[in-house]
Amino acid sequence: MQDKKILEVNHLSKKFGQTDVLKDIDGTVKSGQVICVIGPSGAGKSTFLRCLNLLEKPTSGEVNFEGTDLTHVDDKHLVNLRERMGMVFQSFNLFPNMTVLENLKLAPVRVKHLSDEEAEKTAMHLLGLVGLEEKAHVYPSSLSGGQQQRVAIARALAMNPEVMLFDEPTSALDPEMVGEVLEVMQKLANEGMTMVVVTHEMGFAKEVADEVWFMADGYILEKGKPEELFDNPQNERAKDFIGKIIQNV
Amino acid sequence: MKKSVKAIIQVIMMITALFTFTAWQASSASAADNSLQRVKQRGELIMVTSPDYPPYEFQVNKGGKSRIVGMDIDVAKKVAKDLHVKLVIKSMNFDSLLVAIQTGKADMAIGGINPTATRRQSVDFSKIYYSGGQSFLINSSDVNKYKSVKNLKGATIGAQTGTLQYGLAKKKIPNSTVKGMDKSTDLVLALKTHKIDALGIEKPSAEAYVKNDPSLKMIPSGYHLNKNEVGAAIAFKKGSNSLVNAVNKSVDQIKQQHLTDQYLASAGKYMKVNTVNTSMWHYWTYFAKGVEFTILISIVATFFGVLIGVILALMRFSKQKWIRGLAISYTEFIRGTPLMVQVMFVYFGIGVVVNIPALISGMIAVSLNSGAYVAEIIRGGINSVAKGQTEAAESLGLSKSDMMRFVILPQAFKNIWPALGNEFISLIKESSIVSIIGVTDLIYQLNIVRADTYRGVIPIFVAMVLYFIMTFALTRLLNHYEGKMKHAG
Repeated sequence: MQDKKILEVNHLSKKFGQTDVLKDIDGTVKSGQVICVIGPSGAGKSTFLRCLNLLEKPTSGEVNFEGTDLTHVDDKHLVNLRERMGMVFQSFNLFPNMTVLENLKLAPVRVKHLSDEEAEKTAMHLLGLVGLEEKAHVYPSSLSGGQQQRVAIARALAMNPEVMLFDEPTSALDPEMVGEVLEVMQKLANEGMTMVVVTHEMGFAKEVADEVWFMADGYILEKGKPEELFDNPQNERAKDFIGKIIQNV
Repeated sequence: MKKSVKAIIQVIMMITALFTFTAWQASSASAADNSLQRVKQRGELIMVTSPDYPPYEFQVNKGGKSRIVGMDIDVAKKVAKDLHVKLVIKSMNFDSLLVAIQTGKADMAIGGINPTATRRQSVDFSKIYYSGGQSFLINSSDVNKYKSVKNLKGATIGAQTGTLQYGLAKKKIPNSTVKGMDKSTDLVLALKTHKIDALGIEKPSAEAYVKNDPSLKMIPSGYHLNKNEVGAAIAFKKGSNSLVNAVNKSVDQIKQQHLTDQYLASAGKYMKVNTVNTSMWHYWTYFAKGVEFTILISIVATFFGVLIGVILALMRFSKQKWIRGLAISYTEFIRGTPLMVQVMFVYFGIGVVVNIPALISGMIAVSLNSGAYVAEIIRGGINSVAKGQTEAAESLGLSKSDMMRFVILPQAFKNIWPALGNEFISLIKESSIVSIIGVTDLIYQLNIVRADTYRGVIPIFVAMVLYFIMTFALTRLLNHYEGKMKHAG
């Protein structure tokens, strides 16, 4: 089980106009693994993550999801594959025109064609998991940032995805709310969810990640187990970056 | 940019082709003269008139029912009776009468029409059934100033645009300034407010006004004119010889037996009935009917306008270039042409191929027009929804249509609600243009009441208040829903 490849990226490149944002990236995510992607801002971390479910279309290279190269499937097929990858955004992106419960039920009912009762049951279970059962019938605008992000995680989980992509999930939160979101993510990791997390939370990376990837200037410069990468980085840029971060932790 | 220009030119060419086709249809239809046969087979003679010109034709309120009466109506009744068919009366603006017979909306047009040489080029005329002679209306206070036509030298003279009176005043009154307006009711008002010094008008109409309004006086025109041009005749589509000949038999009888005197007398009776009570309250059924049609048209046009608007807006986001091009061309074309022209095109232009009733034509034209504007508003609304919403929907595996339906459009509509409200309100007001093809909306009814009561200003004020009540009620309703939506998100 541990060895099953969920995502495999080969020679991935992405240009925005003339600017190279990602340069020849390789990487493999295995089932049950938690990968944390760290690095200075402007390194291309978010773009990399968004290429994994093709919210950004790579300029060249392959993104294999369970053996299918996403860069070569048509739109319709892509929609089917995306529903198996959950994504959590920095800015939550809950649907403001729906209640929390409706946010959670929409995709299972419309995409997976679950019955209303089934979808509601799952949704309530997941809201329980993130500790927000009592907020089921309110609109997102009345929730705090941390609560909204927990709902967003529950919404992604409602599709029962095989991998969860987190794009700086705590960067837009007030400091006192970071903890509640990380707690939920840790719980998920403990339950064996495959996760790719772009984050600045080094403590979380150190504690939860199976592997940490260090990115800078559009390259993955170093990959390793957290204790190796944080305590004994090989790459100069990584050394420099971690040196600066550790002082603050 | 270049491509969209190309697409727009293509659409314009298509429309030109359609026009040519309809014109060809119209001309080929007249090639074989079966005009009389067609009327007889149908068992109905369809006439158009503009019932705001007493005593020729005007509306009266009898027993709560609105009827078109007048000398011309009696003439038409006599014609229909002689042909052993039923008379069907359609009403529309005077400007549209000749177009209506050219495009086959009616068999004949009757409405005090002078068979001028210019008109003879585009339509056929019966013999002249009545020659009323020309006269001028002046204010009673000016009786000493304008004793005869000679005194009108250098004066400002009003006349209905495009009429014989307009041309005559220009030609025969030295140094005069001639002001043209569409409706004789407006002209009388201009006279009473001294914007013009005299009003060139047919004698029977002038007499009617003088009888009903003591502040007006009539002076004879003293023109010496060619009898063939100044009388009133019935107009037909070119090439309707068989029908014209049949009608001429009736016209001969009318002249021999001096039936028009009788007709005028009975029209006068109606007018007396009519002026007993000119309070606006007495005409409330007229205004009610106008409001009813204005609201009906607005509701239908709002519904279909939004439907068309949503479809067009979604087309703008299509991956297919030609679908986008089509939506852009449509919007540009509709926004680039006046609603009035669109209304006339749907009724008269498309009407040659498929005969669409005036009300439906009006609804279609206003809906098509509104659709283009709503499309732009919705497009703006869709663009205003944060990109993260699309990404979140995509990451959940929602299809494009589900994403639009459940996520993007509900938010877009909330954002554009005030702009849409504006569009609905202007729809109520702009729909008034359908009155030109004879749809009995509020503006049309307003003109009827003005012609009926010889009161120029009060009916306008009533209509103004009615329009305001409608738009204000709508504003309150829209605000109510806006507040509700705010609450929900």
